Amino acid sequence: MGVPFSIRGLDKKFGGLAAVQNVDLDLQEGVTTALVGPNGAGKTTLFNLATGHIIPDGGEVLLDGKSVLGQPPHHIARLGVARSFQDLRLFGRMSVRDNVRAAIEPTAWLWQPGGGVAARKREAAVDAALDRCGLTQQADARAVDLAYAERKFLSVARILATGARIWLLDEPASGLDPHSRARFVQLVRDAVAEGVTICLIEHNLDIVTELADRIAFLDRGAKLAEGAPQEILRDPKLIGIYFGEQRT
Amino acid sequence: MTAYLINLATLATIFGILAASLNVLIGYAGIFSIAHAVFFGLGAYAGAQLALQFIPDVLLACLAGGAISAALSLCLALPALRVRGEYFVAASLGLQMMAVTVFSEAHSLTGGHGGLVGIPPATLFGADVSAPAPFLGFALAVLAVLLLAVRLLMRGSFGRALMAIRDSESAAEAFGKDVRALKTLAVALGCAMAGVAGALFAFYMAFVNVESFTLEQSILVMAMVIIGGTATLAGPLLGVLLLLLLPAGLSFLPFIPPTQIGAVQQLIYGLAMTLLMIFRPAGIAGGRR
Ligand SMILES: Nc1ncnc2c1ncn2[C@@H]1O[C@H](COP(=O)(O)OP(=O)(O)OP(=O)(O)O)[C@@H](O)[C@H]1O
Ligand SMILES: [Mg+2]
Repeated sequence: MGVPFSIRGLDKKFGGLAAVQNVDLDLQEGVTTALVGPNGAGKTTLFNLATGHIIPDGGEVLLDGKSVLGQPPHHIARLGVARSFQDLRLFGRMSVRDNVRAAIEPTAWLWQPGGGVAARKREAAVDAALDRCGLTQQADARAVDLAYAERKFLSVARILATGARIWLLDEPASGLDPHSRARFVQLVRDAVAEGVTICLIEHNLDIVTELADRIAFLDRGAKLAEGAPQEILRDPKLIGIYFGEQRT
Repeated sequence: MTAYLINLATLATIFGILAASLNVLIGYAGIFSIAHAVFFGLGAYAGAQLALQFIPDVLLACLAGGAISAALSLCLALPALRVRGEYFVAASLGLQMMAVTVFSEAHSLTGGHGGLVGIPPATLFGADVSAPAPFLGFALAVLAVLLLAVRLLMRGSFGRALMAIRDSESAAEAFGKDVRALKTLAVALGCAMAGVAGALFAFYMAFVNVESFTLEQSILVMAMVIIGGTATLAGPLLGVLLLLLLPAGLSFLPFIPPTQIGAVQQLIYGLAMTLLMIFRPAGIAGGRR
């Protein structure tokens, strides 16, 4: 089993605040890892470091064993890493369909590589992603005009259509109603079945239990523990930190 | 009367190109430049110099104007890559101010405050096209070609990538978009078109000076784009018609004393802009927002 994505000793300080301290994390192929921890633990920052949106102070980010440290986000994305944002960052004034199109098109002036064949394939991928995310009806609506759950699903549809093999999802299910949540869980399971490696930041421990094969527990920038869900979620010390009992 | 109308139509066509070019920056790429008159001016000086020194071919002048403006568009692309929002607006204001100084002082290139005068009548492949009607025809053809190009580019992946950057730069990057390259290209495209408009303007006026390339001109063009509607093909043209025809129309109203026309115009522009941003922020052609 390969380790397509791996983080070694990653460090990041914001001013005096150590947002991420010496964190190691391996994403194993086809394994879903949940990143869990209280607010401000450094989870989003870890994603930003992994995708090149923020340059780390130290450490390594390896894709298939090769360093991608210091590479710009669009390079890392083109290597097959797709991510969502906690605040979604949809392309607000574009249609739902164009959001997904823009996410998967290689940029070119007029002619895309691959010509008509590739274009039809891309359109099929867009249609399939919209269908699986329940957005076919809304395809022509602008992203800003969508309802909350639809916006969340659009952020997943963009990723789904790319065909990326590594997904980093930042609280994709927060605030979803039970019906949408079930749809989301199914989406992730289907992706995993297709071989996608997923790392997911999630506060809802039910979803974590449903989806995660492994949990990494972060607090104040440091990884306190990593292991199978049963181990982590039964550790009274971690649960105490998570629910804020031991914070000073 | 016909001559007057043809003149007005030619001016509207030139400003149509200029507004469409700024729309590439503001509407599609989200780059709020208030230095657009600079690139209009660069094209005008380049076209005028070509005509004065070498050959008064209007097509060559358009190409030269476009090329000079595209090359110097790096002066705008650089701040656009580093800062956004109000910081970029301030940076482009600085560029506008510097350019006006350079335009007024670089006598050998721009003729200084006096400008470049005596631009010879326009020719096209050796034929004289300087009469009002053929010149309007040529300007309209240039407008049509450029609008078609903008439409093709903006409806394709290039346009979608630009709009994605406009709406969320970090998300566009996360989906593999090379933001620096795309923004640089968009700025070059928009500025090149402004340069083409400038070259046409030089022949139309037969002289050019810095007065046409000031901050006020930049703001007028921005008003045209915003009032007409950003990120649409028709919006900027609509804005041009409104803002150019309004003064022409007002001068026909008998009850406004000629000395007051300027003030009445300013009041109407200001009011229209304010009301529009409140009730129709995407512009007249922009629909809902
Ligand atoms: N760009 C930044 N500049 C300065 N401080 C930052 C920046 N980004 C994050 N921080 C700080 O770093 C710490 C970790 O933030 P981060 O967003 O990674 O937490 P998180 O685990 O994702 O929290 P949440 O569950 O609330 O999303 C916080 O204290 C935050 O205020
Ligand atoms: Mg977060």
